[in-house]
Amino acid sequence: MSKPIIRVEHLTASYDGQIVLNDLNFSIQEGAIVAVVGPNGSGKTTLIRAILGLVPYQGRIWVDEKPVREVLGKIGYVPQKFQFDKTIPMTVGEFLKLSFRGIPHRKIRHVLLEVDMRQHEKVPIGTLSGGQLQRVLIARSLLNDPAILLLDEATNEIDIASERSFYEIVSHLNQIHQTTVMLISHEINMVYRFASQIICLNRDLICFGKPKEAITKEVLERLYGREVHFKEHQH
Amino acid sequence: MQRAFITGIFLAALLAYLGVFVVLRRMAFFSDGIAHASLAGVAVGVLLSLNPLVTALIASVIFGVIMFFLERKTNLSSDTVIGLIFTSGMALGVLLMSLKRGYQPELISFLFGNILMIRPADLILIVVLSLLTGIFLAANHRRITLLALDREMAYLAGVNPDFLHLVMYVVLAMSVVLGIKILGVVLVSALLIIPVSISKLISRSFRRLMIWSIILAELIVSAGLVFSYLLDLPAGAVVVLTGAAVFLLVLTCRSLFQKEVSG
Repeated sequence: MSKPIIRVEHLTASYDGQIVLNDLNFSIQEGAIVAVVGPNGSGKTTLIRAILGLVPYQGRIWVDEKPVREVLGKIGYVPQKFQFDKTIPMTVGEFLKLSFRGIPHRKIRHVLLEVDMRQHEKVPIGTLSGGQLQRVLIARSLLNDPAILLLDEATNEIDIASERSFYEIVSHLNQIHQTTVMLISHEINMVYRFASQIICLNRDLICFGKPKEAITKEVLERLYGREVHFKEHQH
Repeated sequence: MQRAFITGIFLAALLAYLGVFVVLRRMAFFSDGIAHASLAGVAVGVLLSLNPLVTALIASVIFGVIMFFLERKTNLSSDTVIGLIFTSGMALGVLLMSLKRGYQPELISFLFGNILMIRPADLILIVVLSLLTGIFLAANHRRITLLALDREMAYLAGVNPDFLHLVMYVVLAMSVVLGIKILGVVLVSALLIIPVSISKLISRSFRRLMIWSIILAELIVSAGLVFSYLLDLPAGAVVVLTGAAVFLLVLTCRSLFQKEVSG
């Protein structure tokens, strides 16, 4: 039986005195693919940022039974948006090399190959399209063979075909390397197909469990209102 | 002239290297603000008959630390904080200088730079501090680049971003003040910005950007010092105008080359 790799206890976070996450409690098992869903402003990004220690919070978060600061090297993270000075001449290879000390060149080539960006190694990072940049960020998150991958709407700027291949990469990593994946997505259909667990968030924890069991009509209404319907295809 | 050349060689490399991070972090106004505010330190040195370069260095570190904490502890934007320190430091310098009667050649040399005013003690201080700073920067190159690129990325790579940010403020403040001996308070920022700006026009990788920035800074400072010596003109102004001329030349050549390629 797999052990919990992320444990969240009484997590509360607020911005400007307004509660964004309210007393969340859950634990994620090693090797799971967990999707975090919820409407805009429901605290999804804050949850991931709290796990990473990027925002202040109350409560306790344990990653592999340790405070996150001690295990940051085991976590790969792809932010929703990566803003930087695009005029700076820095190649994709140089950008990846910066991430960790002593990364061998073959590792950089390997991760670029995994995201189908091998031919872009010498291209300045500021000239990449949104989708290409996102792939490079995914490659970067894989450099240290992470035990946990945290993906904050990583497919936001990529097309549908790339999105599908992205989920396939995630699925592949999960199956081959037993990487635990926690991802934020608005694509409920993709989530339904790839995630083994789901966290529904709307400031409070609305649901937590296997997607087929956790996503009910009532849950969707609590998340998105009465107008939203979810149709399950059998193929 | 020999002393000016040696200090010029060391400072050109140091400021060009730092300039890459200044441009990356959009901190040009910070260096300008520190340079101007350090006038208060110069004034203290002149009034107390101490080495003004040493007192200016101390003042720059204090101002750098104050800026760092004001940016974090208040809701004021970075440029507002810099503007506050810039004007307050300069005003304090002017006020303190007014207490000393008569013509102040030291003050003028700090305002506009004067290669002839570099004393042996200044030379030793500049060379030693440049070397120490260079060693620190080289040892922390990856961390500093990460921090300049993205604070969160640096944190996730195990860097303590707040601490390194504070250290970089201090290092940058001290380096800028070392440069005012040659270029003066008014012009020192040019050496941080011009070589990197030219280098950006011709580089397609970060490694080349760093190398070209240092090479260009050395060429600009050396040529500027020679021109100023031969033509008996103020060194700071000649160095900056040499840099600006090189920038224009490279920009023109680049535009012509690009037109040729696209045509």
